[in-house]
Amino acid sequence: MSIQNLNTFDPFADAIKSSEDDVQDGLVHVRIQQRNGRKTLTTVQGLSSEYDLKKIVRACKKEFACNGTVVEHPEYGEVLQLQGDQRENICQWLTKSGLVKPEQLKVHGF
Amino acid sequence: MDDDMIFDPSLKKKKKKKTGFDIDSTLAGEQNETTSIEAPAESGDVDVPEDDNLDLDNFGKKKKKKKKTFFNLEEIESALPETKDEKPPAEEAEPHGEKVIDDLDLDIDFSKTKKKKKKKNIDELVIEDDVKGDDQEKEDDMHGDWVGGDRDYTYDELLERVFDIMREKNPSMVSGKKQKFIMRPPQVVRIGTKKTSFANFTEICKTLHRQPKHLLDFLLAELGTSGSVDGNSQLIIKGRFQQKQIENVLRRYIKEYVTCHTCRSPDTILQKDTRLFFLQCETCGSRCSVASIKSGFQAVTGKRAAMRAKTA
Ligand SMILES: [Zn+2]
Repeated sequence: MSIQNLNTFDPFADAIKSSEDDVQDGLVHVRIQQRNGRKTLTTVQGLSSEYDLKKIVRACKKEFACNGTVVEHPEYGEVLQLQGDQRENICQWLTKSGLVKPEQLKVHGF
Repeated sequence: MDDDMIFDPSLKKKKKKKTGFDIDSTLAGEQNETTSIEAPAESGDVDVPEDDNLDLDNFGKKKKKKKKTFFNLEEIESALPETKDEKPPAEEAEPHGEKVIDDLDLDIDFSKTKKKKKKKNIDELVIEDDVKGDDQEKEDDMHGDWVGGDRDYTYDELLERVFDIMREKNPSMVSGKKQKFIMRPPQVVRIGTKKTSFANFTEICKTLHRQPKHLLDFLLAELGTSGSVDGNSQLIIKGRFQQKQIENVLRRYIKEYVTCHTCRSPDTILQKDTRLFFLQCETCGSRCSVASIKSGFQAVTGKRAAMRAKTA
């Protein structure tokens, strides 16, 4: 692959993200967690707090036909939670809507 | 790659044989000629019959083409200044003779004499080339037909030559190709309904030359779960995971924390410097920082009622 050191760092990430989230590395982390049984949960951490996450979650719920919520975290700020494995959906949606650049996305999980 | 390399030349040869008037064919004629001429330089008796054969084969129109290609060759490959000086007179002498042959479909004798003229010239050239070749590269001695550097080398043979030399000079590369990075697949077994066992976790850590804790942190962070190594040195992970899924995570781990980001060699050392991890390559010597492992946000799953009871 390409040189990791170059493409993980976006020099303009600071301009995009607000000054509040100091823990963030300018990346939007998309993770998956297992719940009971075969149920899963997708979390999106690192979205700029300038965006109205409630509006985003509303749109996502409708688009992916899943439930979702916004959780406030003392360290990570507002975090999006969606039911099920919505990792691909959310990545596509975020890039398509222009909220996040593809290189800012970091998808975790199996 | 190799298949293509093997496959291509045969195709080209077929084409050469079938199509009479192509550039390919002229080139083929050229090759035959030059190779046959180079052989005589070593043994004198065999020349004549070979020449006859050649002339019979390439009778008529092809000869003109040969000449043309010769001119082209000289224009393009003016590698040796001496050849330039010597050749033109030989070729100037020929055209009249060859035209006659073409028109009258006459004799082999004539062409023989011509050939001999050529041969003489080329013999001289070969000798000179030999001297030069020895000076420049000793490798040439191993591949005889490369010495008389007058003919037009085909791409395929040049490619083959380069690969031959490469393999010759560093045999480690040949074996290194196949070596790649062999690791046993993770043995993943479900324990009950809620837990998964990664049985050969410790073994994989050893093959990767990484601290178990580091890989453990990564696995748990990526899978968004918790777990620990038990007494049998197997990793027990909370949640249900399939071997394929664990494999995917392992592959990402190897890509980020094991193989060199520059040359992909797995022969690397992970060093902790202050708070950052650096990947030091033992093969190419590159050193680059790698992402620190963070589990990040973890959603609260289950036992919500218990949590509420606590806070309330
Ligand atoms: Zn390297």
